[in-house]
Amino acid sequence: MRVEFFGVSRERAGVAERDVHACTLGELLAILAADHPSLAELLPDNRLHPALAANLNGDRFVRDPRTPLVDTDCVLLLSADAGG
Amino acid sequence: MPFGYHGRYFLIDVTHPTRVERPDLSDAILRRTLGGAGLGAHLLLEHGRPQDDACDPAQPLIFAFSPLVGSPLTTSAKFAVVGKSPLTGRINDALAGSGFAIAGKHTGADAFVIVGRVPALSVLVIDDGAVRVEPADDLAGLACADAEEKVRSRLGPGFRIASIGPAGERFVRYATISHDGRHAGRGGSGAVLGSKNIKAIAVRGNKRVEWADPKALVEISRDLSTRSFGPATEKYRELGTAANMLMFNRFGTLPTRNFQTGTFEHAVNLSPEEMKVAHGKARASCVACTIGCEHIYGVNGGQTRVEYESLFALGSLCGVGNSAKVLRAVQRCDELGLDTISTGGTIAFAMECVERGLIDERWLTFGDGDAMLRAIELIGAREGLGATLAEGSRRAAEQIGQGSLAFAPQVKGLEIPGYEPRALQTMALGFAVGSRGADHNRSGAYEADFSDAVDRRDATLASVRHAIETEDKAALMDSLILCKFLRGVFSDFHVEAAVMLRAVTGWDATADELRATAKQIVQSKREFNMRAGWTPSEDTLPDRFLNTPLPNDPAAVLTRERLTELVNEYHRQRGWRMV
Repeated sequence: MRVEFFGVSRERAGVAERDVHACTLGELLAILAADHPSLAELLPDNRLHPALAANLNGDRFVRDPRTPLVDTDCVLLLSADAGG
Repeated sequence: MPFGYHGRYFLIDVTHPTRVERPDLSDAILRRTLGGAGLGAHLLLEHGRPQDDACDPAQPLIFAFSPLVGSPLTTSAKFAVVGKSPLTGRINDALAGSGFAIAGKHTGADAFVIVGRVPALSVLVIDDGAVRVEPADDLAGLACADAEEKVRSRLGPGFRIASIGPAGERFVRYATISHDGRHAGRGGSGAVLGSKNIKAIAVRGNKRVEWADPKALVEISRDLSTRSFGPATEKYRELGTAANMLMFNRFGTLPTRNFQTGTFEHAVNLSPEEMKVAHGKARASCVACTIGCEHIYGVNGGQTRVEYESLFALGSLCGVGNSAKVLRAVQRCDELGLDTISTGGTIAFAMECVERGLIDERWLTFGDGDAMLRAIELIGAREGLGATLAEGSRRAAEQIGQGSLAFAPQVKGLEIPGYEPRALQTMALGFAVGSRGADHNRSGAYEADFSDAVDRRDATLASVRHAIETEDKAALMDSLILCKFLRGVFSDFHVEAAVMLRAVTGWDATADELRATAKQIVQSKREFNMRAGWTPSEDTLPDRFLNTPLPNDPAAVLTRERLTELVNEYHRQRGWRMV
C-alpha cells in the first residue's frame, strides 16, 4: 500500500510517500518507526501520538492499531491539528 | 483590587478627550466574563447600540485584556477588539497578539471602551492612565507598520502602538487593526476605528496587577512552556499553518476559484516547503510566546508573515498559483490594513462574476496574479471596482444582483475561511451558526471533521455536539486569553485552565464553572446579535454549498434539509428556542 506523509510527518520521514506492506495499522506504524527513526517519537508503541492522525483512502480517520489494511489502501499521515 | 485585574475599565469619549470615566468592574462580572472576548461582549451589551450603524460615533470599540495577560504563561499576550461589525452588522470580536496587550493592561485598565469621533485624524494616547489625543495629519495614508514606527519615534520609548492602514481610513468594511505585524483581522474593526478618525492608539504604563499565587503560577508556566515545545505544536513551529495547503488539497477540501472546487493544480507552489526554497524563510513569535508560529518569507525586497488562510484566500481561491504574487498580495493587504480572507473572498467572487459575464471588468480573471494585485489596490483606495468590492462580497452581490448572491462566499457577510464546507460538514455547521459569521477561529468544528469522531462528508445530529464543544472552547480561550495553537498541549483543557485561573485570581474556579462560563459568553454574543436584528434565517450557507456535490468529490454533498436539521439541533442543544 501507499503511505503519504503530510506536514510534520513528511519533514520527519524525509519522504513525501512510500510503499509498505502491512496487514494492520499497528504493523504499518511499527515499520515506519523502524525505517524512519525521526518519526518514532510520533509513533510510540506502534500507535499514533495524539498530535498525529491517520486517514484511510481519504475517507475515514483511523486510530486503532488493529485496523485491517489491504495492499490497495492508501494511508495518509497528517497533523491531528488542522488549525489554519 | 482583585488579583489578576485592575477591577475597572476606561470609558473614553474621544470627542471630548479629557472626558474619561473609570467605571468599576465587579468581581462577579469579571468571573462571569473573564476578559478578552467575554468581557468585550459584556461591555458591548452595556455600551453598544445594536440597532445603529457600526460606524456611528456613539458606537463603542472595545479593547479588552485578560487576567492572564502579563503573566509568564506562554501565548498569553493577546487582546480582543470587540464591536459591531460594519461588514456583518453583527458582533465582531477579533484577537491580535503581542506587546500591545501587556502595555495596554499596564495602563491600569482591564479594557478600553472608545466612543465618539475626533474632528481630524488623530492618535489616541493612553499613558499610564492619562488620556490625550494628538493630531495625526502626517500619518494619513501611511501603511500600518510605517504609522506604528512614526508614532513610536514621536512618543518615545515604552509605547506600543495599534494602527489602521489606508483601508481603515477609507472605511473598507474589512479593514484591520494592526500591531507589530499581527492583525485583529476579521470583521472590519479597522473601519470602526477609522470612522472615529483615530489612526493609531498608543499605550504605555507601569500599573501591574498582582497574582494570587505567584509561586504556583511560575511553576504552571514553566511546565506549560516545556510542553509547548513538544509534538502538539510542532506543525506550527516547523512549518506554520501553511502546512494545511498540501493536506487540504489532498483531501479535496482546499477552496479553489471561489469555492467552485476543492483541489488546486498549483497547490504545491504555495506549500511551505516550496516557498522556503523559492523565497527564503525566517521564524518569529509574539511577545511571551514559546511556540514561534510565525513564518516569514522574502518578497518584494522585504518580507511578509503568511498563514494558510492568506495563502488560500489570495492563492487557490483566486486561482493564483504564483507564490511571488500571492506573497506580494499578502504584503499589500498587511500594509493597507485589509483582512486577507475577506479580500481574497471578495476578489474571487468578483472573478466569478466576470467569468459569468455579470460585470464588465474583463481584466479580473481567475489565475491572474497581477489582476488580483490591482484589485487589492483598488479596494484599498476605494476606487473604480474597488469601491464596490470594499463593501464585501455580500453587499457587492446585492449591488450586482443577477443571482450572484448564490455564490458570494460569505455567512452573515463574513467571507468563508479555507475549509470547504461540503467536504467538512461539521465545520459547515460551525460556519452557519457562528455569531460573527463564517469563522474558523470562533468555531473549531474542523477538529471533528479531521478525526474519527464523525464522517466529514455526512454530518449527522451527532456532529452538533462537536460543533458546540469547539465553539465553547474557543470562547473560553478567547476570554482567558490563550492562543489556540496551544490547545493540543492540554490533556484536559478545562481542568488546566481552572488551575491557571486559580493561581492568577485566587478564585476557586472549577472545570465545570469554566464550561458554564464559556456557554454564557457564547450566549452574550448571541444576545447582542438578537438586539441587532439577527434572525434564524441567517444561520445558513450560500446556495453554492447546498444540494450540489463538490465537483472533485461527488460524495461531498450537503443538502439544505440536512443543514437545516443540524442548525435546528444546534439551537435546541444551546437551549435557544426559535420563535
